[in-house]
Amino acid sequence: MRIALGIAVALASAVAAPASAQQPTLVLSAFGVAQDQLRKDLYAPFEAKCGCKIVVEVGNSADRLAKLEARKANPEVDIAVMADVNALEAANKGLIDPIDVSKLTNYDKLYDVVKDPLGNKMGVGYTYYATSIIYRSDKVKIESWTDLWKPELKGRLALPNITTTQGPLLLFMADRAFGGTTPDFATGINKVSEIKGGVVTFYERAAQLAQLFQQDEIWAAVTGRFNWPLLKKLNMPLAWATPKEGLTGGLNVLVLTKGSKNKELAMRFMDEWLSTEAQTRLAMSQVDSPANKEVKLPPEIADVLTYGEDTAKGLKLIPPAQMLANREAWVSGWNSKIAR
Amino acid sequence: MFEDRRIGIALAAPAVLFVMLAFLLPVGILLSGSVTTPGGWGISRFTTFFAEPLYQEVVWRTLRLGALVTLASAAIGYAAALAIVDTSPATKGRLVGLFILPLMISPVARTYAWIVILGRTGLVNQVVTGLGLSDEPLRLLFTETAVFIGLVQLFLPLMVLSLVSALENLPADVVPAARVLGANWIAVFFRVILPLTREGLVIGGTLVFTGAVTAYITPAVLGGSKVLMLETLLYQRVSVANDYVSASVIAVILIAMSVAANALLKRAAAARKR
Repeated sequence: MRIALGIAVALASAVAAPASAQQPTLVLSAFGVAQDQLRKDLYAPFEAKCGCKIVVEVGNSADRLAKLEARKANPEVDIAVMADVNALEAANKGLIDPIDVSKLTNYDKLYDVVKDPLGNKMGVGYTYYATSIIYRSDKVKIESWTDLWKPELKGRLALPNITTTQGPLLLFMADRAFGGTTPDFATGINKVSEIKGGVVTFYERAAQLAQLFQQDEIWAAVTGRFNWPLLKKLNMPLAWATPKEGLTGGLNVLVLTKGSKNKELAMRFMDEWLSTEAQTRLAMSQVDSPANKEVKLPPEIADVLTYGEDTAKGLKLIPPAQMLANREAWVSGWNSKIAR
Repeated sequence: MFEDRRIGIALAAPAVLFVMLAFLLPVGILLSGSVTTPGGWGISRFTTFFAEPLYQEVVWRTLRLGALVTLASAAIGYAAALAIVDTSPATKGRLVGLFILPLMISPVARTYAWIVILGRTGLVNQVVTGLGLSDEPLRLLFTETAVFIGLVQLFLPLMVLSLVSALENLPADVVPAARVLGANWIAVFFRVILPLTREGLVIGGTLVFTGAVTAYITPAVLGGSKVLMLETLLYQRVSVANDYVSASVIAVILIAMSVAANALLKRAAAARKR
């Protein structure tokens, strides 16, 4: 009996051994979207190279930030991807470490806009997107952000609500276009409140826009490039505006958790994510627009992503520090002037 | 029924335990969040919430729409229920079935149908512009009117079903008796039918009001952020701002509204009895 038990234990540990035989594990904290494709295009190729295992924890930025904070003393996550503003929040709370970019072989291949968006090399951008105006080219002509105030768009306009990531971007560009100078976007908020009666809806889900265009409810909407593929499929005379004030947008960054026990492996993984090969694969699968300027894309793929040197150079982004300091003020300004 | 009371208690135990663990406990935790403040217990969360003009407007709109939807459902519901009760049993069954049918269709699909109907190029506007009632298509989508129409359609069946069962219990000869004694139809309704079916009205009214103030899909899809109601505001606070504190305050307000509406309707019914 005892012998049999002994054999069973020995067998069990022999079976279990390969899995736990000191195979290094890297824990990534990421958005829940496109994980299957990310595994195929990025995690699996990297696992084959490093002989390690990548475990992914998914969730929205706010939730994942709260988790990082809760496990500050004994972090489980080694590397995380976040929107720039959330990453800056993590940096301010002392949850992440600066990145030694000299160890990233692919760093110099990146567009300038993503190289150090948080300052002090606290994060490196791996993807970005542009936000502009999509409009019915047969009905209106849009060459400036101020064209949204044209009378022919009254009752034909959809704008993002302040609760979405696109809402602050709308205020930012409205503020710039009308010569606002204060970080609280007072000018932008006042300008948007002037046309609020003519706004069909302040949308909260980008997917809603397809239906609104299709039913001829709207002729123009402020939205991110990520919505363009869906809207193009409507086969309507829709165009992506290039306003003279420029495009706005947002970017996501990679950050290193403070106190991670796998820092070296995390750096290798980060370098892999920024590599021309991985960035090309992820772009071809339409997961993320490339931040690496060596990525070359065929026109049909480039058209549905945010792509190219000119786009990257012309992008006007809200500095994350300004966003962090003023977000509450924008929401309360919006609530008192626009939402009511 | 059971000679030993312990058998009854034992039989009830699984249900009680389930409700305690799956409902009372989580709700209790959620609600306690609304009265926990950094300095201990207090109502400061509520005063902060009600200090925001936008939120005041949302509370008021939710109450107003809830009341209007309940009133409209009661008016339409009585008419429909009286007609249904008056038919033969077979027809009655079919008509009640017809009223239940919309309850079997997903509220999402039903609400999206309203988008098509109320849209700029939708059925309503085709009729309105076709008849020359208006040169411009009316803006119906993303207005309180759209939310009102959607909610009435959503909850009317609950009112009709409650009133049908109340009217069925109405003694068959009371209406003819009142008529013989010279009451006109208005008097018959307000002095005979209404007092005798108030239980059904209380149940239907509570269901409709509670449903209307806690509905999410209809105000979200037909109203959007321009017609915020408490439920859509709650979702916004949780999913966008991670503001569980405001969310628990809203949850308490919603529960209070439902309990108050039920108490009010019961009182009104009781007052009529005297």
